[in-house]
Amino acid sequence: MKMASHRENNIANYQIISILGHCFNQLAVVQLAKFIPTGAMVAIKKFDMDKIKEAYLVESEIILTRQLNHPNIIKYIVAFVSGPQVCVVSPLMAYGSCRDLLSRHFNEGLCEPAIILIIRDVLDALDYIHKKGYIHRAIRGSHILISDNGKACLAGLRYACPIVLNGKWQRSIHSFPSTTERNLNWLSPELLEQNLKGYNEKSDIYSIGIVVCELSNGIEPFAGMSKTLMLTEKVRGYAPSILDSTTIPRDENIESGGDCEISTNILNRRFSDDLHEITNLCLHREAYDRPTAGQLLTHPIFKNNKRLLPLPELLKPALPLSDRVGYDTV
Amino acid sequence: MDSNMCQTSKSFDSETAEADASYEEENEHEIATAEFGEEEELKPVDSRPNPQLWITRNSSHADFDDDLENINISNFFHRVDSDQIIYQSKKRRLKLVGKYVMGDLLGEGSYGKVKEMLDSETLCRRAVKILKQRKLRRIPNGEQNVQREIKLLRKLDHKNVIKLFDELHNYEKQKMYLIMEFCVGSLQTMLDSTPDKKFPLWQAHDYFLQLIEGLEYLHSMRIIHKDIKPGNLLLSLENQLKISDLGVAETIDLFAKDDTCFIGQGSPAFQPPEIANGLEFFPGFKVDIWSSGVTLYNITTGRYPFEGDNIYRLFESIGKGVFTIPPEIQEPLRDLLLGMLEKDPYARFSLQRIKRHTWCTRQPSPEGLPKVPVPPLRGDMWHSLTVLPYLIEHYYDEPLEDASEDDGSQHEYITERQLNEMDERRKQRDRTFVVAENSNGNAQSSSSSSKKSSRWKKTISCMSFKTIPGCKQS
Repeated sequence: MKMASHRENNIANYQIISILGHCFNQLAVVQLAKFIPTGAMVAIKKFDMDKIKEAYLVESEIILTRQLNHPNIIKYIVAFVSGPQVCVVSPLMAYGSCRDLLSRHFNEGLCEPAIILIIRDVLDALDYIHKKGYIHRAIRGSHILISDNGKACLAGLRYACPIVLNGKWQRSIHSFPSTTERNLNWLSPELLEQNLKGYNEKSDIYSIGIVVCELSNGIEPFAGMSKTLMLTEKVRGYAPSILDSTTIPRDENIESGGDCEISTNILNRRFSDDLHEITNLCLHREAYDRPTAGQLLTHPIFKNNKRLLPLPELLKPALPLSDRVGYDTV
Repeated sequence: MDSNMCQTSKSFDSETAEADASYEEENEHEIATAEFGEEEELKPVDSRPNPQLWITRNSSHADFDDDLENINISNFFHRVDSDQIIYQSKKRRLKLVGKYVMGDLLGEGSYGKVKEMLDSETLCRRAVKILKQRKLRRIPNGEQNVQREIKLLRKLDHKNVIKLFDELHNYEKQKMYLIMEFCVGSLQTMLDSTPDKKFPLWQAHDYFLQLIEGLEYLHSMRIIHKDIKPGNLLLSLENQLKISDLGVAETIDLFAKDDTCFIGQGSPAFQPPEIANGLEFFPGFKVDIWSSGVTLYNITTGRYPFEGDNIYRLFESIGKGVFTIPPEIQEPLRDLLLGMLEKDPYARFSLQRIKRHTWCTRQPSPEGLPKVPVPPLRGDMWHSLTVLPYLIEHYYDEPLEDASEDDGSQHEYITERQLNEMDERRKQRDRTFVVAENSNGNAQSSSSSSKKSSRWKKTISCMSFKTIPGCKQS
């Protein structure tokens, strides 16, 4: 990465346009801004360091993100200190996160081609991260951002941990990520078990499985469930699935008398066998049985991408942010 | 050597013997009942028509020991065969303290039990030190020491010093809960599990460097630990060493001109000559250097530099400061041990000197002896979450695996022999499981887990989160 020039380090050169969202447990704000010298739209993440107790997490996220260089991993243009805040500038991800897309436009999930395109990009990034010797540990919809040309980028690297310790590639990792409360539903059973067996990079693959469910169903499995029940469900080997006509037993649903109201849309749709297979592969209880990111990328489901529509088409009616801003300001 | 010599002197009084005995008793009992949960939940019941007086492992000796001297014990106690002692098994009950789910016993500290806990919000594993006010008052300076430890721990934050996360009080039961970092065992429990009672050099080196790092932090906070020994050095899941038990630690006043101390507390075998000789005052930080030296000697040789049949002989030997290092210990470790176990505290190595020492800067090759692992906890080599069976019982309300395999019949009453048999069987199964897992386990274990979950596959789906039929929310 080129050294940031003086003007990029100066908060005065950014014209704040609006708030995009919050992160880091509401202690950081993400703003849409225009970099005045060039007119480029960027996203500025501002961490309020007076309120953040785990300052090392902010630090490690910046250090790690700037060490990585991959088209599907979020880039930091520059990071600087401004008063009590640490500011991180990155290119604008015009569609926001997958979580945003699901809550705003796709309450019942994305269409299969969109899921395939997004997951392929994330797997590319994950393969790269694992080969660099890190476990992401926070793969989830809100950490996957979509750019205006439909490229998925992985973010949220503050939870990542190195696989290499004392110059040695560790067979298993035992650390439990701190402030990981909001990621718990996506984490693998072996990571949550916190025993001497530990976990490895396959833990991220489990999270990919949960993300596939999240993108397909509109909400992640175990949402709204008590954390302890989620834990026992995972440890006992319950594997969530993507919901369609094959996975929801029709009669039972009617019998239970609206116990869980599932729309006819979901009841009648049909995901491909390949997508079901990918989900099941990722959600194996035993890490050993899950494929690596590299192996998953060779799955036939990712082979025929050329024939798919580009992601921005598939995401309609959602519009990229820059276009929306255009409407608002005209 | 007498095990008392390795215990902190705060418990050195007439109560020690009794406390030790009851510790043994409770501990044994705890292991036997581990499958069924808390010891309060297994109560001896009187199921026979003509009850005779019998004593169980659980009965309170306190009722009797006042008059023991005046009574012929054989008249007083009736002998009872072990399978006539009957326990009633209750179901595992989920117990919550604040937001924490209670698990099984991890160990016994000087002041009370240490149990495992699970934070139900973050799902992070924790350990809890349970302090009973009633018990504390019986120990000299008990309450005062605990308050001091809490005050200290609250302000400490270092990867090699045990962390205190939370404090809870139950005024009704007069109990205090200190929520701490979860650890899998102490260096002492690891040493005890090996035949030679020592670590391979490279492993000892790893722990020693972490000890020095933690000690450097404590000293920088003007804290003298005063009770450094393998039993107080715990290991986290990540194999990180955590200095624990600051019960007798002393903080040097911010405006004191040096680290002079006047009181020596701690475990006799690890005390320096200046304390053994009863000096009026001595430099405090060097006390920790000495006990770290004894610790290093102990974990590398399996022996103690100074021994004695009783505390007077031991202190006599320490006071002279003469000791030998086994010939298998080579330079530069010899030199380091001699420097740390220097009789004159002013000539004794400082932390800086130790850190720069050749033995510390050069890592011994990880060859030779294999690594000493953390010994299994009640037969579980992986130290799995002990909270899990309670949660499963709570959410699924189905008989435990153990019970279902138990001849299919639900025992309401369990004799001690049956209890032991079940324990034995469980151990055997654990052993076979480990073997199976090592050979071709993955397929096997995943199939068994899918079988177990089949009952729930239908009810809990991704969308049925609004209500979960049959499940009690915690």
